[in-house]
Amino acid sequence: MKEKTTKLLLIAVVLVMLTGCTLPGLASGGKDTIKISSLATSESEILAEMLSIMIERNTEARTELVSKLGSSIVQHQGMERGDIDISATRYTGTDIAGALGMDPIKDPEKALKTVKEKFPERFDQTWAPSYGFENSYSVAVTKEFAEENNIENVSDLEPYADELRFGVDNAWVNRKGDGYDGFQETYFSFGDVFPMDTGLVYEAAASGHMDVVLAYSSDGRIKDFDLKVLEDNEQFFPPYDASPVIANDTLEKYPEIKTITEKLSGQITTEKMQELNFNAAVEHVNPRKVARQFLENNNYFEDAAKEEN
Amino acid sequence: METIVEFINYTLQNSGYIWTQFYRHFLMAAYGVLFAAIFSIPLGILIARYGRLSSWVLAVGSMIQTIPALGAMAVLMIFMGLGTNTAIVTLMLYSILPITQNTYVGIKDVDQTVIEAGYASGMTRFQLLRMVELPLAISVIMAGLRTALVIGIGIAAIGAFVGAGGLGAIILTGTNATNGTAIILAGAVPTAVMAIVADLILGGIERKLQPANNN
Repeated sequence: MKEKTTKLLLIAVVLVMLTGCTLPGLASGGKDTIKISSLATSESEILAEMLSIMIERNTEARTELVSKLGSSIVQHQGMERGDIDISATRYTGTDIAGALGMDPIKDPEKALKTVKEKFPERFDQTWAPSYGFENSYSVAVTKEFAEENNIENVSDLEPYADELRFGVDNAWVNRKGDGYDGFQETYFSFGDVFPMDTGLVYEAAASGHMDVVLAYSSDGRIKDFDLKVLEDNEQFFPPYDASPVIANDTLEKYPEIKTITEKLSGQITTEKMQELNFNAAVEHVNPRKVARQFLENNNYFEDAAKEEN
Repeated sequence: METIVEFINYTLQNSGYIWTQFYRHFLMAAYGVLFAAIFSIPLGILIARYGRLSSWVLAVGSMIQTIPALGAMAVLMIFMGLGTNTAIVTLMLYSILPITQNTYVGIKDVDQTVIEAGYASGMTRFQLLRMVELPLAISVIMAGLRTALVIGIGIAAIGAFVGAGGLGAIILTGTNATNGTAIILAGAVPTAVMAIVADLILGGIERKLQPANNN
């Protein structure tokens, strides 16, 4: 009899696990929960919080954040599996190479048009309008180093490249298309390449642990640490305009989300994003607070209140 | 010193957020141990009865224990996707050995003469288990749960990598921020405190349950 009870319990546990039922206290699923994913960058978390706040104000749904994901591909796979309903930040250049597996497209508008067409077709997902900023990869050195050696663009580094240490983001090194392999084909190889957490590269460059780093153009720390962004003179890096991506079945259930993404589109310039990132990553303000402040300062809540009345 | 001040400030300003993650972290660890206990305790009893199975079962448990937790979590993520359930199943895997082993040892160590006395007085096997063996073994079993929970609290910190949140997420925020030591501490210190407190509380219960204290 004991064995039977055990077996039944075991089956029950396995079923709970596999069907992803909600365990008391841990919201993980449920019909009315929209799961929003974010990367481990402050930018992604801030935007995920913005979407979460707006969705909870304007719809009946609750939201849950699936945070700290390693790369856009993880977000994509999560959406394909249904673990995620909305990716807070997806970048055109990244997903043309990653999710779509296409060759890089250098023209920003053409790139955006491509993902907007292909995502509904291939994945039944909607690529929403861009937030208005771009988070491009950019090669950066300290201002000091640039001035000493008279360096303006990436090609100027070539004579020194063998002796330089290059600090880059973990996900970039093995990426096809716009990753390090492609970079070496267009430009040259560096003496040593050190993959690390994206947040560490700025400090690494400023402190002299790295000579050259791959920075994010929307990161406020470029200015903060006195780094110089080098011109991508061979136009190797494709455009990386940021948009949320939403599963179509979620959009059908909550059409308000379309209005929300339209309201946010074009509202955050690259400078604005740098500022918000700076608040979160350097001044250590909680991303949710940063998001709420932005929404308050830009009268998003008043709009919503008016519509309700 | 500056870091400590910053750590205290960060903790005070974000107390709500840290508390939410603390609670989530604890629940993940607790569910992992609970689900593991549901089948590890019967498994321990079973292998104590059928001695030949014990070496096999314990060997498999030890093998699981040698897999790096991050690797196990990554593999499980492929099958189970992102989120807390993946983290909980990983925790469960690492709880199997301590609980099974302690149950096995606890039941095995019950004095044979006591069991014979019970048997002689007409007890059925189930009665023997319920009224003699389990009460005598319970403190050893609790020690297994305690070990499992402390290990679990540690492993739950890497649940952040599969989108499960918890205090590990705060630690990751710290590694991505500039001069984020204070944030790292705001995630790491509560994790350590949780492990120590869980250990003390379960240790207390364990002592209470010792048969010698039951008079």
